[in-house]
Amino acid sequence: MRKIWLVVKREYLTRVRTKGFIFGTFAVPLIMLAMVIVPALLLARQASRTMKLAVIDGTGNLYSALAQGLDRKLPNGQPAYRIVRRVDSPSPPDQQKLREELRAQVNREELDGILFIPTKILEGEAAVLHTRNPGDFGTSNSIQRALDDAATAQRLKARGVEVEDVRALVGGVKLTLVKVTEEGEVVERGQTIILAIALMFFLYMTIFVYGLATMQSVQEEKNTRVVEILVSSLRPTHLLWGKLLGVGAVGFTQLGVWLTAGALLGTYGAVVAGMFRPGASFPRFPIPIHIMGFLAVFFVIGYFLYASLYAAIGAMVSSTEESQQVSAPINILLGFSPALLGVIIRNPNSPLAVALSMIPFFSPVHMVLRITLQTPPLWQILLSILIILTTTSGLVYLSARIYRVGILMYGKRPSLVELSRWLRYM
Amino acid sequence: MDAVVLESVTKRFNSVTAVSGLDLRVREGALFGLLGPNGAGKTTSLRMMMRVLIPDEGSVRIFDQPLSDRNQDLIGYLPEERGLYPRMQVRRVLIFLGALKGLSEAEAERRALQWLERLELGKWADKRINDLSKGMQQKVQFIAAVLHRPPLLILDEPFTGLDPLNAALIKDIMLELREQGATIILSTHRMEQVEMMCDSICLIHQGRKVLDGDLQAIKRSYGKNTLRIQYSGDDDFLNLPELIESANHFGAIVDVRLRPGADPQEILKAAVARGVRITRFELIEPPLNDIFIEKVSGPNA
Repeated sequence: MRKIWLVVKREYLTRVRTKGFIFGTFAVPLIMLAMVIVPALLLARQASRTMKLAVIDGTGNLYSALAQGLDRKLPNGQPAYRIVRRVDSPSPPDQQKLREELRAQVNREELDGILFIPTKILEGEAAVLHTRNPGDFGTSNSIQRALDDAATAQRLKARGVEVEDVRALVGGVKLTLVKVTEEGEVVERGQTIILAIALMFFLYMTIFVYGLATMQSVQEEKNTRVVEILVSSLRPTHLLWGKLLGVGAVGFTQLGVWLTAGALLGTYGAVVAGMFRPGASFPRFPIPIHIMGFLAVFFVIGYFLYASLYAAIGAMVSSTEESQQVSAPINILLGFSPALLGVIIRNPNSPLAVALSMIPFFSPVHMVLRITLQTPPLWQILLSILIILTTTSGLVYLSARIYRVGILMYGKRPSLVELSRWLRYM
Repeated sequence: MDAVVLESVTKRFNSVTAVSGLDLRVREGALFGLLGPNGAGKTTSLRMMMRVLIPDEGSVRIFDQPLSDRNQDLIGYLPEERGLYPRMQVRRVLIFLGALKGLSEAEAERRALQWLERLELGKWADKRINDLSKGMQQKVQFIAAVLHRPPLLILDEPFTGLDPLNAALIKDIMLELREQGATIILSTHRMEQVEMMCDSICLIHQGRKVLDGDLQAIKRSYGKNTLRIQYSGDDDFLNLPELIESANHFGAIVDVRLRPGADPQEILKAAVARGVRITRFELIEPPLNDIFIEKVSGPNA
């Protein structure tokens, strides 16, 4: 037991000390954090300043409706637009002079924009916005909308209809989605599917990456021949267990850091965004504790299932290139799980989804997906755990027998017949 | 007491019998040479002593006990194929391997640093294995084998790749460990080393023992049937098939195996008659090298 522990410790410490691990572990939470902060910062930058506008109203009666439409506040409480100059129905010679004068002010940055409303705007003539930054779609959109509303109100008024009446008549209705679970009801805004896909992806990634890491670890010891010394110090089976546990613990650590970061941001994302821009929002998607628990369980058993296969391949072959070739079928087998994502999402309780989540090679990923989307009956979860555990213990047993022989064999890759002989060796 | 006893041990891989009915006894405190050509079954035998392989038939005992997890720690092993974790620090590798042999990590570290100092690697303790030269890596590997002061040390070709200075250093340490009571099994092809260091040997060929026992006794059993001649001139005088069974040339020196009952005086006469200058003419026991070649290329080969 002490020797297994020594192997676990070596695998764990040499791995978590590498730059790759530190980068991978902390880059993901940083990217998540950036997803919260960057949009908030961008929004804040975009609309943190009051736009100073001059309005030349050729109709002479749109101004008040327009001013009302532009009366919005910035997150910092300042008005979004201030109309610093207003000219109603100027005569054409005046208009020419005015245009020159205002343009100069825009260039001196005393003004941010000049809005010309033509006399015949209600008949379809275009209004013109002069600005230094025509690429600022946020501003042009809100001015367009205010102008639209003002023009619509004016047309309606001309026919004797009040705009409020129309709004009341044509106002749409809303549809709210509510996710029903045994714990209660939660208003759904797409967060369940995003969460399910994200969790599935992290689970798939860690099983894949750390399964391969187990294979590489076996390969490294075999290729450097350290394994000769190791097996003279402890049983090959114990060595294999130490390796599986040590590499798995590294994966567990990484997944743990990622999930904790995800859970914190899912709960406190809005608070963090608010620190960078008051009033900024971020969708709340708390990860329920039972989902975290099941994720941990399915990671552990799923990892052992695949890592034992990868370890056996690492022991069978004699070079890194060869191990990549031989492990390709395992990669594909594991890759089926995310590829069949659609089947589960469309109906997490369809017979096909239930069947897939009972096939040991798919069930870790698919069960987590189902649990997140729509918690299946407990017996199904337990049954799938039982199926994986049974398969895994069988595979670990077989892989230990292959490992024992394989680590001391060099040269040609064993055929299936030879492999079956390895299994029978004492 | 015997350090290692193998009793009619057989090990087969598929259809190949690697070791066949091998009986072997290594006396405690001996410096024992395990000899044999490539593929003779040396490594398989050593692996069975360390319980890396389990024999199909027969039994293996270490210090009069059957093999177990516990007495695995009594053995230190230097494999022929050297290798350590290339990206790990020297110090950490030694602590890990020492701890695997039952030392506490603190004790393993203390001893590792002492050994590194002694083998002139003190400055390299915190370097990665990769940064060391091949010879330095070999010395680190040797330290890994002796760190836990094993009463039984198994060294597979310990001198390959070492310069004469380092080879002498390792040889001195081996003799010193033996003084302290360790039993050493030396597996090698280099007969001159065995001849100078070992007190008993076992020669295996094609998985079977062909010769074993006390080295001096073995040589004595052959008697002084070999002539070592140092000469200058033509070697025609050796063309005496009725007296000479075989001759092994080393340039200026030749080892001549005499036929039973042959008189060395006749050969000397022939040399003098042809005007060859003789600077050395000595009757010796056969070198181990010749015994090895004779046994391995003999009729049963």
